[in-house]
Amino acid sequence: MTSSEDISQMFDSESKKLQNFIDTANSKTDMNIHEIVATYYQVMNVSSMATMLKQQADSEPSSLLSQIRETEKMISEKFDSIIHPKFLAKISSAIQEMTKNLQFENSGEKSKEQIESNAKLFEELRQTMSTKEFVEQYENGISHD
Amino acid sequence: MISDIAKNLVKLKKEFVKVYDGNSQIQEFIPKSTSELFPIVESHLDLLHEFATTNPIYYNSFEKKIGSVDCIVYEGDINKYWLNSIQHGSSKAPFSPTWIMSGYIGAMFAKELGYSEVIDIGSGDGRIAYCAKVLGMESYSLEIDDLLVELQHLLISTLNFHPHCTDAVAFDYSSLNLSRPIFFIGGLAQMGGTFLATGVLEKINSISNLKQNSGWVFAGTLSQKYVTDPKNEAGWGTLIEKNNLKSIQNISLPAAWTFHESDDVQYIFAKSN
Repeated sequence: MTSSEDISQMFDSESKKLQNFIDTANSKTDMNIHEIVATYYQVMNVSSMATMLKQQADSEPSSLLSQIRETEKMISEKFDSIIHPKFLAKISSAIQEMTKNLQFENSGEKSKEQIESNAKLFEELRQTMSTKEFVEQYENGISHD
Repeated sequence: MISDIAKNLVKLKKEFVKVYDGNSQIQEFIPKSTSELFPIVESHLDLLHEFATTNPIYYNSFEKKIGSVDCIVYEGDINKYWLNSIQHGSSKAPFSPTWIMSGYIGAMFAKELGYSEVIDIGSGDGRIAYCAKVLGMESYSLEIDDLLVELQHLLISTLNFHPHCTDAVAFDYSSLNLSRPIFFIGGLAQMGGTFLATGVLEKINSISNLKQNSGWVFAGTLSQKYVTDPKNEAGWGTLIEKNNLKSIQNISLPAAWTFHESDDVQYIFAKSN
């Protein structure tokens, strides 16, 4: 069975990973879709752990509860309020830009090679749109908390 | 016999997936000529090839022997239509065509079941309505996306399958003077198909005599990726029961989106109970 110490260590380790993701999101201006999605997954991972551990609050040491509160504060103040809106704006703007470019690319006759090369850009647009849906679902989650 | 042709198409599609090495977004084949596996009238095959060669969604074609069958492979791209549909929000499900051969086999079943008119709802480029016309049935093609209807108008010079740019849920079906129609509903149950089918069923049921005389073809899937219907029928069971219909035939046929899937589209033929 996992001891309280193990749980604390695991939460501490995941929180530190999240801190790194948040630091990267703050400093890096050109995060790609995979990095953005990975950041959300880490936020959700740590949030779920925090929720689960708080439900067992009576059996957890007070130091862990204090750490959970710190981490939740970091998610709320740094991620939900600053980074998440920044990501959503970035993705929305990328979709607009890609759509505009593809509309332009689509005019006129094209060779087989051009059509197949453009198809990759369409695939990228579809992926970005899926990411936007995913990010919007996260937003819905925040607004229902 | 028709179910054998359907099975042969599914089998040959599996072969095609193994040997296809192109990069097109969509790809399908049509046998070059009549054969034991595809005993199809030669002039019908010519018309199916004509549909593909005049259709601007296909930008390349080549001959290929798939299994034991000499075929023409058609490579296409429908991204332009997808982009249009997401921008205008006109269509509830993006255009993703069934194979031309699948449309033809579906129409063959409709004819064998005794229907005289095919109404292709959410028709995309109108291929099912076209195939019905190839088989000598009357057909009508209803599509809400104006760019796709524009495309259909390029394809009606040989066989007029009567394209209508309209919302199928609001369309006045009595204007078609239908007697023994069968409605092909475009869109999987899980992708807005039930909404479309419910709306059309309501319209048809309000026209005297049509409820009993009409047939329905629903496109479904058994893929685990989609939520299953508690009454099965590839996602359509609840709608079939609720509308007092009964399933009379179920065939599996390839579509553009099932190319990399192990399960093809399940076409559920149903009629009034």
